[in-house]
Amino acid sequence: METTMTETRIDRGSTNTTTIYSEGGDLVFERTFDAPREQVWKAFMDPDLVPRWWGPHGTTTKVAEMDVRPRGKWRYVSSAPDRDDVAFYGEYLEIDPPARFEWTFMFDVEGFGPQGGPETFLFEDLDGRTKVTSIGHMGSAEAIEGALASGMIAGAIGTWDRLEALLAEG
Amino acid sequence: MYSTFQLYNHEVIETEEDALSKTFAALADPTRRAILARLAEGEASVKDLAAPFEMTQPAISKHLRVLERAGLIEQGRQAQWRPRRLRAGPLREISEWVNQYRRHWEESFERLDSYLRELNDKQEQGNGDDDDRDPNRPR
Repeated sequence: METTMTETRIDRGSTNTTTIYSEGGDLVFERTFDAPREQVWKAFMDPDLVPRWWGPHGTTTKVAEMDVRPRGKWRYVSSAPDRDDVAFYGEYLEIDPPARFEWTFMFDVEGFGPQGGPETFLFEDLDGRTKVTSIGHMGSAEAIEGALASGMIAGAIGTWDRLEALLAEG
Repeated sequence: MYSTFQLYNHEVIETEEDALSKTFAALADPTRRAILARLAEGEASVKDLAAPFEMTQPAISKHLRVLERAGLIEQGRQAQWRPRRLRAGPLREISEWVNQYRRHWEESFERLDSYLRELNDKQEQGNGDDDDRDPNRPR
């Protein structure tokens, strides 16, 4: 791993290609790509290129709106065969090509309304390769602990179907 | 997960604490997680919930209030007693959401890696003498 875990940094399931950790109220993803920085920056900023990679495996992304300037709005719609379309949207805050940009990343969570907040992206040139860092500003270390712990609850409870059946019994 | 922000002249002003942040903060405590796991087995009274912990009922009630405000449990309406029940819907939503957020960036980066490799392979094939290619870049 290129990144050292310190007392305040907590590993959150790094793989051999992607480092994932939390630090205070930030959840961070880091990965280095075998491509020059200008190319990687363009992949993020060109509406024709974003759909080539944005979103988890098995999803398709359409760029509905992308006004790349401070206060400009963006909106991507993600489709997948097993669920309804999900819209991700927000505003650009700061743009400093090709090194850094910050935007708000928002989406609607059923039962909780619009959720999200600022994310910072850093693009570092490493001798012709590019290290990309995405930092999700979650607000507090407690929020991160709780968010990740919610996955543990799901494990402790077992399958949701079983739980729903149990609750349906009254 | 985040507090909801609004922008005004580049100042970021925090609005009311959003429900998801409250919910995650509620889950940050291991006692509360244990209470939820117990309630997954069926509704229970405050007395029953306090039993496994060396805690007084008022102390447990404090935890229950946090869980209620976070929308994770609700009180039954029987006249004689108010059992607490799990609200499975919200809990499932946030559990899945965290996994989704993690998958989003982890897998987007995987796809980005594939796209960039494909792009650079095409460039190498298409241009025998590409001036833009870094001669020091490892093959």
